[in-house]
Amino acid sequence: MSGAAKTDPLRLGFMETMEVEGRGHIGGLLITNQNGRPLEFQCTTPVKPNRTQEILFGETLRPWLLGELIGCTLLDRVAIKPSLIVTSNLHLLELRNHTHIPVACTNDARTKIAEQGGTLRIGGNILRFHEAHGVDAELLSKQKHLLPDSADLAEPLERVREALAETIKTVFAR
Amino acid sequence: MSNWPNQATVDATVVSGNPEQSITSEILTIDPALIAEARRSTRVDVAQTGFNPALGRLPTIETQGYSLNTVLDFVPSWTARRIPMKCIGLTLPDGMEFMPPKLDSTTSDGTQLRKIAPPKPETSEPVDPDKPRKATRIKPPADALSLQDRLFYLLQPPLESWLAGQELIMPFEPFAYQYEGIAWLFASQAALLADEMGLGKTMQTITAIRLLLRSGQAKRIVLICPKPLIPNWQREFKTWAEELPVVTVEGNGPRRRMLWTMPGIPVLLANYELMARDIAEIPDDEQPKFDLLVLDEAQRIKNRDSRTAEVARSIRRRRSWALTGTPIENRPEELGALFEFMEVIPKAASPDLRQLSKLARKYILRRTKDLVMKDMPPRIDRDAELELTDAQELAYRTAEKEGVVQLNDLGDSITVQHVFELVLRLKQITNYDPLTGESAKLERLMADMEEIAASGGKAILFSQWTKTIDWLEPHLKEFNPLIYHGGVPTKQREPILARFKAEPDKHILLMSYGTGAVGLNLQFAGYVFLYDRWWNPAIEDQAINRAHRIGVKNPVIVTRFICKNTIEERIDRVLREKRELFQAILGDGDNENVTLSMNASEIFGLFDLKARHKDGSKSIGPKSVKAVSDAA
Repeated sequence: MSGAAKTDPLRLGFMETMEVEGRGHIGGLLITNQNGRPLEFQCTTPVKPNRTQEILFGETLRPWLLGELIGCTLLDRVAIKPSLIVTSNLHLLELRNHTHIPVACTNDARTKIAEQGGTLRIGGNILRFHEAHGVDAELLSKQKHLLPDSADLAEPLERVREALAETIKTVFAR
Repeated sequence: MSNWPNQATVDATVVSGNPEQSITSEILTIDPALIAEARRSTRVDVAQTGFNPALGRLPTIETQGYSLNTVLDFVPSWTARRIPMKCIGLTLPDGMEFMPPKLDSTTSDGTQLRKIAPPKPETSEPVDPDKPRKATRIKPPADALSLQDRLFYLLQPPLESWLAGQELIMPFEPFAYQYEGIAWLFASQAALLADEMGLGKTMQTITAIRLLLRSGQAKRIVLICPKPLIPNWQREFKTWAEELPVVTVEGNGPRRRMLWTMPGIPVLLANYELMARDIAEIPDDEQPKFDLLVLDEAQRIKNRDSRTAEVARSIRRRRSWALTGTPIENRPEELGALFEFMEVIPKAASPDLRQLSKLARKYILRRTKDLVMKDMPPRIDRDAELELTDAQELAYRTAEKEGVVQLNDLGDSITVQHVFELVLRLKQITNYDPLTGESAKLERLMADMEEIAASGGKAILFSQWTKTIDWLEPHLKEFNPLIYHGGVPTKQREPILARFKAEPDKHILLMSYGTGAVGLNLQFAGYVFLYDRWWNPAIEDQAINRAHRIGVKNPVIVTRFICKNTIEERIDRVLREKRELFQAILGDGDNENVTLSMNASEIFGLFDLKARHKDGSKSIGPKSVKAVSDAA
């Protein structure tokens, strides 16, 4: 006898990158449940663009490096695929062009950015989405009820940054 | 005159080293009309200088050939390739999944479930971004070396959000220092939580246990406590972690053995006596293994050679936590016994004071009320120095004189036990004269109680002797006393406490130090009487802190009865001298509980006796109060 169909639990991804002096950028992705409890974490080794890449990519270097290169690698790597990816880095919104998963950027709530089209308020955070994927805000607003009102989507990003700093200290500083 | 050709032919034959690569010549034909027109429009009269014929000669055109399939090698080749990178991954344990909350609050057997959390408002307030959020992060322990271990702790959410009604319902909001304690315990393999009594060691431990189970860090936990505290732990588990199945080790031998060895029990509760008896009887290959062993009132294993301490150390476990409000009762070496249990020093090691201090900083978390509960109503201590009644005075002096004579007569065969017996006899007389029933303490107590009862207050009285408590009961009838001491069967004790709390006319609870000093929450009592003095002020403090603990709303007034010019006064002075001795180990400002009970030579000293040596004995006699005072 088969059980009743179960709703897929909401899994959240929190992605951040960090620059390691002289070694490039590393990225980390933390997957949590809807209450922020960690389920999986992946982080990359440092990636450093060469001079040619810096010249030829120009302004698109960071979106490519952080969003496409690091972001896609991390997303491919995690076993638990998130329903939403949250970041505080606008360059990482580029990842949305390479995945079907909505990617949102937390504005610093203290700047009091007015809610506008393409943004969504959850708890104390205003989320900004990729301009070419404005529909993400609407999609997520339908799942908003799955998150507690008190949810602070910026807090897990702090954990990712701490974990990246610890990784740099422990592994790459040797 | 210019000499333009009528028809210009350009031979564009490509000259190259390879004839096969030549291309055929091409004839360019120019319209003669255009040439004529050009001649007309460009006619120039020139002087006959002789150069003009040269100007009319056709220019010579030279050609150069290029191979079209030459590779252009000056452009660097480049394609946008992915830069190789590796990933470091960590999958966190999924943890123990609790049963989802039932929609119906009635169980299958019809029992009404108790609601332990306040109802949530329909619409909770969104987070105010301007309001600083309290966040207690779990720090990786110093001994966690691998990156995975450290990341595990770093990636956990702040305790506040973890606990705040999301997954783990908390009946009350913990204090900030309690959050810190929980986070510290959670991340510790070896820990001695030595918060001063009344600061919530029980709650912090239960919550940390809950988090360990929830995060999959532990699946099987055993908690050992003194027998009288079993109901207290059961009650606290029900309050703070209602969903945790807690099983108490009890019943006959086979049943207890089954409980010890049966897997799948998340929390096992047992008393020290059963632990010492049962674990020793289980064969080696059947010995249970626990993820965490917690010893409550861990000073019970301060003697590292005792059977209890040996058995506790022999239990197989991954984590070892000890709880006590008095990590040092008598000697700093007692800490060594606790550290040995925690497996942070080698077996039978004797760390010196400097090493103990270093270990304490790493493995002991101790907070005092003064430090963390600045808003807590104060504890007001007052020593009631009483004059003995005439009958008591006579009985006391007679007993003292006779006792000292007898001690002197014993000569070299005198032991501390002999002196001890005399001290006890004298202390009993200060409580009441057995012959006449006169008691200065009772008179003072009655006076105070009348005032307390008139204002609807409640008091707890502690005595060393059940006999004194039984003697007091009929004298305090008008205040409806309740009795709680070792003579009361365990099952009847909880209802007594419940009555004392619930019934307004029960104004006084008479307790013995041994039974009532630890683990009980009686913060609704505003008065504590220490009818006689215990040997160790740490025990007295434990007793006082039954009332002066978290949740207390009014100041707690503590009255110590001390009869002047008696043994009580002498004992008090000796103990006061020793309070500062071991502060270095547990830090400054900790002047509440770092106290020592009296050793043999100090007990001899109460009567100016000295412990006997081979070189003979000295004359003895009661030391005057003045002499003791001068010495202090």
